Amino acid sequence: MEQPNDPPAGAPPTDAAVHGGSFFGIPYGWPLGLAIVGLILFMWMARHPVRQVLWQVFFITGRVFGRWGLWLGEHGRNARIMTSEKIASHRADELQEKLVVLEDRLGRRAEKLPKETGPIIARLDTSTHELATAAHSLADINLEDAAERAFRAALPSMESGRGLNKLEKNIAQNTARAMNERLMPVRPALTALKTEGPRIRDLSEKLNKTCGEFNQGVDQVNKAFSEFEMIMHSEDRIKIASRASIVIPWLIALLITGIALSGVFLNFFLIERPMSEIVGEGSKIGGVGLPAFAALIVIFLEFVAGVVLMDALGFTKLIPAFNSMSDGGRRILLIGALIFLIAFSFLEAFLAIVREQIIEQNAEVSRIAVASMGQNGLDAAAQNALQSSVKPAVVLGLQLPTLAQIILAVVIPWLLATAALPLETIVRNSVFMISIASSYAMMTLAFICKTISVLLKNAGLFILSVYDLVIFFPLWIEKRAKGQGGGGSRRRKEKGEASDDDDLMALDEPANQKPNQPPRRERDKRERELQRA
Amino acid sequence: MIGRLWPKVGQTAAGLFFALALSCCGLVTSTNRSVFVVFDVSGTYVKAVPDATKYANLMISQLQPGDWLGVSQIAACSFSEKEIVLQRELPETPSLASAAKRELFAQLAAYAGQVKSAKYTDIRGALAQAAFELKQRPEADRYIVLFSDMIEDHGKTCDTAKTTLDLKGIHVIAANVIKSNPADPDKYFAMLKKWEQTVTDAGGTWNLVASPDQLPKLVASN
Repeated sequence: MEQPNDPPAGAPPTDAAVHGGSFFGIPYGWPLGLAIVGLILFMWMARHPVRQVLWQVFFITGRVFGRWGLWLGEHGRNARIMTSEKIASHRADELQEKLVVLEDRLGRRAEKLPKETGPIIARLDTSTHELATAAHSLADINLEDAAERAFRAALPSMESGRGLNKLEKNIAQNTARAMNERLMPVRPALTALKTEGPRIRDLSEKLNKTCGEFNQGVDQVNKAFSEFEMIMHSEDRIKIASRASIVIPWLIALLITGIALSGVFLNFFLIERPMSEIVGEGSKIGGVGLPAFAALIVIFLEFVAGVVLMDALGFTKLIPAFNSMSDGGRRILLIGALIFLIAFSFLEAFLAIVREQIIEQNAEVSRIAVASMGQNGLDAAAQNALQSSVKPAVVLGLQLPTLAQIILAVVIPWLLATAALPLETIVRNSVFMISIASSYAMMTLAFICKTISVLLKNAGLFILSVYDLVIFFPLWIEKRAKGQGGGGSRRRKEKGEASDDDDLMALDEPANQKPNQPPRRERDKRERELQRA
Repeated sequence: MIGRLWPKVGQTAAGLFFALALSCCGLVTSTNRSVFVVFDVSGTYVKAVPDATKYANLMISQLQPGDWLGVSQIAACSFSEKEIVLQRELPETPSLASAAKRELFAQLAAYAGQVKSAKYTDIRGALAQAAFELKQRPEADRYIVLFSDMIEDHGKTCDTAKTTLDLKGIHVIAANVIKSNPADPDKYFAMLKKWEQTVTDAGGTWNLVASPDQLPKLVASN
């Protein structure tokens, strides 16, 4: 659709046509042009302070971020190396303990080995001797000679007898007799061959099995020792650390602890109410009811007793004092922990009975109150209940739910004690994982800081470029004028004295940096390599 | 590794325990409540007192060990210790508290059996007496449970109509408010409104309980 560009002839002049428009109050035309020229001249004159401000804002801030990035990166790497070293040393400790255990087991096995293999070897010796004797006997036999002799023995009868049948019969009988006589001494050897063969096979299988078991133990020791050697001598600690599994044992330990914690909750709900019979109700400590607080304390005490028990038994190493403790002291603590756990089991069993009594009493009170609503005054049931209420509550027999509660109450303290087993893994591996995560977080922060640094520097460069683009004409004139003026600045440059402009124009280089010196990071790296060498 | 970590864990645990101990010293609070039950024994309500004691039984059965209970009656001149029927603090252990509740049931049953009618109804005086008794108690939660038709009738010798009530921090619960004149519901509601205004003006909170099972919930819910 075409629209007329010019107003039609004879139309009245518009307001814009009269005034010509304006830009921020400056009319279009020569006033605006003059203002732009003035602004450019002003910007040219203010270039030094503006550049200094931009330098301060972008480059100094960027450098600060860069320094932070370097610092964080270095510390992150150090933390990673330290954590790897800790993991490797922990793995070495584990292997050392494993080696000690395997060595002990292997030693005991080696001690038992002569007792196990002695009879087998003796029997093998006997069987071999018998086989040799049998083989000797068999080697001595000459069946052809026996047959020939039998035939010759039968010849006289052939002369006397005429019948062919009799002759055959005679030969056969003589042969059989001769063979039998000949084989008679060999029969025990054949029997020995028959019996000793399978026996030797069995004995060799047993020997093979014993040898295999022994070799298996030796292989385990060798494998553990090889890994131990590799951990001790390998330079790549991160690789060694990455070979040690941290997360899976941690997850398994967490799962077991979670299950144990569910037992804690169960235990808590079982003993909370009857604890009010011991500590009373009506108070709160930090927002938690007094019976609940007391129940929690009992659970914590059970857990502590469990930790002491497991440490005293040598299953865990959570308490450092146990490492330097004598066997006698450890035994005393073991017995103490056992006594405490047994006492807690009894306490919880009694609390289970008390809990049932409290529930019954409360139910009875409610029943009386509800029953009294039935008629005018207390009805017969309520009266009976009232009469019985004067007597103290008597447990005539343990009901099934009470028995179930008692069993739970007795078992749970011991289950809580076993929860101390995975606790060590959880604590240790959590520390490892937090350390690794912290090192990676530091390195990530280092990367972010460095990126911000680069962004700031480049943004500063870009803004300065735009600034220079706006004032390029005065700059060009200035450069021409200075060039005609004898090239003083060029001479100063040759002497290594940069002018103010040149100094500020070197945006991506620090003003005081030496030209031939490598960056600090490179220097640090070289220093580290030298130290390592 | 664990050995090196243990001292730090121990220090942290000790710090936490110390902080907990400190906080406990300042944060040990009582969860008990004090409840003052007032029965109206005026001519228009005395027949409903046995039922009211049953409602009170329901409420008592839900009280916690350590709670306090007072019982008084609205008579001609209620601002008097003579009108107090019983006062008892439940033992702190559940089994003893259950036994005490049974004894309270028996006492209330005995009271309902021998209650005598009064000529006038001094509700305001009874409220003042109950509030006075509750203010003496250390419990933070305080309740006045009124079993009355809420119709006030002062005698010449004991007119407490202009008595200033102080019910700050007290929950007033009107329970089993029977309708003495079924032909005039407006009057009934206006009367309830007036009492609500009176209680709230005195700084208390007002609740009206229609069914018996609501009362224990209202008292035991806090």
